[in-house]
Amino acid sequence: MDLTELQLDALREMANIGSGNAATALAAMLGRPVDLSVPSAKALPLADAVEAVGHVDELITAVGIPVVGDLGATVLLTFQPDHAATLCGFLGAAGDPEMELSALQEIGNILGSAYINAMGSMCGLELEPAPPLAASDMLGAIVSSVLAPVAAYSDMALLLDSAMLVEGSECRFGFLFVPDEEGVATVLGRLGLWGHAA
Amino acid sequence: MARMAEMVASRTDGDVLVGLGLGSCIGLALVDGGHRAAALAHIVLPAASRHGAAAAAKFADTAVPALVQDMERLGVRRHSLSAVIVGGAQMFSMGGGMDIGSRNEAAVRDALRSARIPVIAAQTGGSVGRTIRVRVGDRYVSYKEAGGPEVNLLAAMEEVAA
Repeated sequence: MDLTELQLDALREMANIGSGNAATALAAMLGRPVDLSVPSAKALPLADAVEAVGHVDELITAVGIPVVGDLGATVLLTFQPDHAATLCGFLGAAGDPEMELSALQEIGNILGSAYINAMGSMCGLELEPAPPLAASDMLGAIVSSVLAPVAAYSDMALLLDSAMLVEGSECRFGFLFVPDEEGVATVLGRLGLWGHAA
Repeated sequence: MARMAEMVASRTDGDVLVGLGLGSCIGLALVDGGHRAAALAHIVLPAASRHGAAAAAKFADTAVPALVQDMERLGVRRHSLSAVIVGGAQMFSMGGGMDIGSRNEAAVRDALRSARIPVIAAQTGGSVGRTIRVRVGDRYVSYKEAGGPEVNLLAAMEEVAA
């Protein structure tokens, strides 16, 4: 996966639109403003990609949303556990672990859908979210498991990464879009930036 | 440190080989009978694709021969090798047909069987991440889960041997 600056710029712009849409959806859900960092687009060797997300042995709570349809990808939300609890508190679901988990899955579903809808309409792709999955564990264990399917065909992974912050709170989390190798080609193809066009 | 799709080997007493944060990945350690040397691979997937020049440690079927070669290079005879397997979890339970972890474990065990290397200890499956540590020159291969203690998988066997 050798991407040019132009291609990475286009992917970054797409991530910007997708995560902007997701932040708007979250703000509507919470009734609070949500800040969004400028997304980054990085193509990295697998091991470096894991470390780019955070400390490998840090304990995190994550929600993964598999994307199905015209391309294979995963949307991954990553939280420090206390930030996840804060977010659940906004939805009246703090305290009970099972309620928290289902609240996080619902948030994942809404943010993931908003992201891929924006991306799908920008690129003319039919994309759908599969049911979200949640886990609390070592960052490395979670992120490497998300990257494993990508590793089948590539030694590199593309990460489209941004961070969201619920204003007036300490709640901040990472928002990651990881397409598989074919997915990267599909998206860039739709943007006219794959093959000879690049 | 063996990061994703990497491998390491050593015959320096006291060296610690580490595979941090294994989810569906497998940490495969080879040790020799006298524990003078050890090698560790961080395996990601069951079998190499046609994709070609990938890192040997990435796939179970290419990692096992590569580890054996590393151990032979360190002067360990193939027939004195044994294996410890850690990892192969399904991090997002109810993931359906995408259980790479258990497919990884099956592929690693197959490859070890073909190479006639016995598995002397394993801590695999479930839906928890694990870290593997191998201390060279010692009967020490441990696993650790998030928030849990570090457990030497070879300690019990040492008592039996003694």
